[in-house]
Amino acid sequence: MLFRKLFRMLVLGGAAIGANAGCSTAQAQQTTEKKQDARSTMDGGSGAPQDAGAGGGVQGW
Amino acid sequence: MTEAQRRIVAEAWAFRTRVEREAADRFIRLATAISSFDVASPVPALMRRAAEDEQRHAALCVELATIYGTSEIGFAKDVPIAPRSLEGRAAVLYEVVAACCITETESVATLTTLLAEEVEPAVEKALRAIARDEVSHGRMGWAHLAREAARYDVSFLSSWIPAMLSGSVEDTLFLEPPEDRDLLRYGVLPPSTKKAIFARTLEEVVVPGLETFGIDGGPARAWLSARIH
Repeated sequence: MLFRKLFRMLVLGGAAIGANAGCSTAQAQQTTEKKQDARSTMDGGSGAPQDAGAGGGVQGW
Repeated sequence: MTEAQRRIVAEAWAFRTRVEREAADRFIRLATAISSFDVASPVPALMRRAAEDEQRHAALCVELATIYGTSEIGFAKDVPIAPRSLEGRAAVLYEVVAACCITETESVATLTTLLAEEVEPAVEKALRAIARDEVSHGRMGWAHLAREAARYDVSFLSSWIPAMLSGSVEDTLFLEPPEDRDLLRYGVLPPSTKKAIFARTLEEVVVPGLETFGIDGGPARAWLSARIH
């Protein structure tokens, strides 16, 4: 029950906050690009980690 | 409370102080970065407010660390964590997902669990103050992910989730350290409870959340399965 509530509160609540704001110029530009092109640019074109050891995480509570 | 228990509790709150200070610096850096490519996003303002929250949380944590006997808080340093092969907007997204969608979401679950227990009044006061803000900190990560997923394919993150997860927990979490439930009243979860909360939050909140935005949860589930089952 707790986890279902957390999903609604955080994931869906957050998505609503993100969706309710307007679009930026950058967004308009981005949406004209093909999705595959966007991903290729982001990850160097391989679609897979190239230096898997380098990514990190953030410790919390 | 024994001297050994006091040391564990003091170190737990000192560690949380470092976590909060590091988060404050990270949120300021990420807010500036997001503003540069998404001027309409509400997330930078939320992150700047979150940075102020985290400094306030750090003050609450250091107070408890001091009460339980340590003035040695240690140094918190914000270091970019995205892999070298990701640049610009993708690197920012990597960090937001790691810091907010994973770590802040896990923190909310931990705080909620602690607040369901009988804890010392000073601990309860700090937990309640921090829990109120952490919900907003988790949400802002999901808000940014939602905005980015609406513009381009964010599925490339899937293979990076295990690296984020490995960096979010101490190596000892999945071992079997001794249990001391007496520490709960001072705000320290027994290792088995901490592990269970981490796993269920990952399985029932974080992974389904990532999948909502087209990020395959398979690598995250495999990472967890290799450590839990």
